[in-house]
Amino acid sequence: MRREPIDPSGLEWSRVSPKYLRVRVFGWLIGSLVWLVLACVPLVLRLTGVWETFPPLWLAWGLPAAVLVGAAWRGLLLPRQVAAIGYAERDDDLLVRQGVIFQRTMVVPYGRMQYVDVAVGPLERAFGICTLKLHTASPATNAEIPGLPTDEGARLREQLSARGQARLAGL
Amino acid sequence: MTHPQQPPLEPRPAVGDTGTQADPAERWLRVHVISPLVRGWIALVAILFIVGRDWFEGLFGPGPRGRSPLPEGVGVLAAVGILLGVVVIIAAAFLLSWYCTRYQVTRDHVRVHSGVVFRQQRQARLDRVQAIDIVQPFLARIFGLAELKFEVADAGESAVRLAFLKLDDARRLRAMILARAAGVDPDPEHPEEIVEAPEREVVVVPAGRVVGSAVLSGTSIALLVATIVIVTLGVVFRTPIVATSFIPILIGVAGSYWSALSTGYNFRAATSPDGLRIRYGLLDTRAQTVPPGRVQALGIVQSPLWRLKGWYRVTANVAGYGASASNEGQARATLLPVGTRDEVLQILALVLPDPGTDRPVELFAAGMAGRDGGEGFVTTPRRARWLAPLAWRRTGFAVTGTALLLRSGVLWRRLAVVPHERTQSLAIEQGPVDRRFRVAQLILHTTPGPVSPRVSLADAPTAWALFHGQAARAAEARRRSGPEQWMRPDAVEPAAVPLTEDGSAVDGAPQQPGQAPVAPRQVMPVAPRYTPVSRDPEEVPDGRR
Repeated sequence: MRREPIDPSGLEWSRVSPKYLRVRVFGWLIGSLVWLVLACVPLVLRLTGVWETFPPLWLAWGLPAAVLVGAAWRGLLLPRQVAAIGYAERDDDLLVRQGVIFQRTMVVPYGRMQYVDVAVGPLERAFGICTLKLHTASPATNAEIPGLPTDEGARLREQLSARGQARLAGL
Repeated sequence: MTHPQQPPLEPRPAVGDTGTQADPAERWLRVHVISPLVRGWIALVAILFIVGRDWFEGLFGPGPRGRSPLPEGVGVLAAVGILLGVVVIIAAAFLLSWYCTRYQVTRDHVRVHSGVVFRQQRQARLDRVQAIDIVQPFLARIFGLAELKFEVADAGESAVRLAFLKLDDARRLRAMILARAAGVDPDPEHPEEIVEAPEREVVVVPAGRVVGSAVLSGTSIALLVATIVIVTLGVVFRTPIVATSFIPILIGVAGSYWSALSTGYNFRAATSPDGLRIRYGLLDTRAQTVPPGRVQALGIVQSPLWRLKGWYRVTANVAGYGASASNEGQARATLLPVGTRDEVLQILALVLPDPGTDRPVELFAAGMAGRDGGEGFVTTPRRARWLAPLAWRRTGFAVTGTALLLRSGVLWRRLAVVPHERTQSLAIEQGPVDRRFRVAQLILHTTPGPVSPRVSLADAPTAWALFHGQAARAAEARRRSGPEQWMRPDAVEPAAVPLTEDGSAVDGAPQQPGQAPVAPRQVMPVAPRYTPVSRDPEEVPDGRR
């Protein structure tokens, strides 16, 4: 995993399941396809002569090309994005990190957790993974750990609830 | 209540969730009978207006030729009959809704049952109270009524609203709720004898300053800019018609001035064993009580023109108040609408009695108006100055033993103060440009409200150190923080321990806390104050610099 070179703590980050990459690739393929089809509409209309002059040919070709480049870029980034997702359990809090270009690390104290969500979508269920989400009294805490294996998600949920109970500190 | 704290062994069994005890203090009560009228008067006036106008127009209308086939006089009778019927139906509905609304305050809970067709039974735990407001809309003031709002941490809607009670009843109920929320046991023989905790007024905002603050506010700057733009457009394009766009702008500006005036008028802040008390209002008045430890974050803001007078505004995140953008919501989250530096420090001393530093006055002054390092502030490194050419010398943070101070803004100077034990979670973010300049952004998450504490463009290793250090400090502070019931007999001590018993606090403190029979809730509180270290407080950098 790519480490923050100046992260002084030397934490052991747990990585998410590699299956999550497949889920993301699947979503990426569908998304890119939809965008590509949409971007091709002016080109098709122009080539079939329904629209006569308005979009110049370079623009009609350029739009799908740009979408294709963007999709390829996102696709190239995907493995690194998935690899960048990590979490670390400490004594008092849970750390969650994500992002390659825009990196973010968040620390959520166990005693501040109000509830823990585990969500499974159809695609995730097929791959046997789930998404864990932590909530505190602040709506800005959008700590999410996607791509956890189902049993690891259940373990983490129980663990977090138990620790939250032990370190409960109101608001 | 003249007895000291009763030992935990009480003659009455703890009632808890059953609530079936025939205790006089726990009987079901109803709000004042005319309250649906006070709440629904606008609807009533509207109905009367519509009906009355029709009838009135009929009187002076085109005469009998276009009227109904009914003989003269019967029409009027019918109209009066219909009107009476409507009034009776409305009155019956009001009475029914009044009859179906009941409330009860037990040892641990406040319960409200309401609704006629769709019934609602709500119950809130007293020790979860985040704030209690007594609100008096103008009409309710005429009738001597008040609404009681009980806030828990659900960020928005009031958990319990009792509208309307007689003002004295509302005050008594507030005192009772606060006493029980504080964990003070009522005298078992006279459980109703709960008096209001005494309070010491610490800040009064004169009316002249409220007017001045509105005139010097950001609204005036916006008005000035709009005027310049419109006049320029009119002159350049020779179209005087653009002047009409002044009308909506003026309406907006007048509304803004009015809300500043009506919510800042007669503003008073006081300290009491129940927590911070603030009162304000011109037509509608409001008295808010925020118990100790319920302020999640504090923001001190100075708009550009306020610098001329050295004024600041203090806002706070309180979990029950939420992040409402309405006038009312903003006013509720304001702990001081406009105040001098000393008054701001006084409010700070109430909210944060232990500043965690030896030089609180100097530190907060540097936070409010200072630049660069000094007093422990760490600012943006010089290499990143082009990312924020104006603000880089001001953007920064300082850590004390009890709170984190986050300073930002050049035109609108801001200082956010977050007590360590109130931090919810922390995030550190870094984008590609940030990485190039080896800086990062640290964001503290608190409950919703006007203050959103963050440090931008901090030196990356420093930000990481702060990130990990703050997580540890918050965990440590949580362990040490007092209980939710801030006066429970087995609690360590009330949160509002005065720092120094400065005799200059308002007027000589007459209380004698040493006397045994006085319960701590009845002790007149000493207003804690920060004492400056330097001999001459004027040396401290001032807002005018």
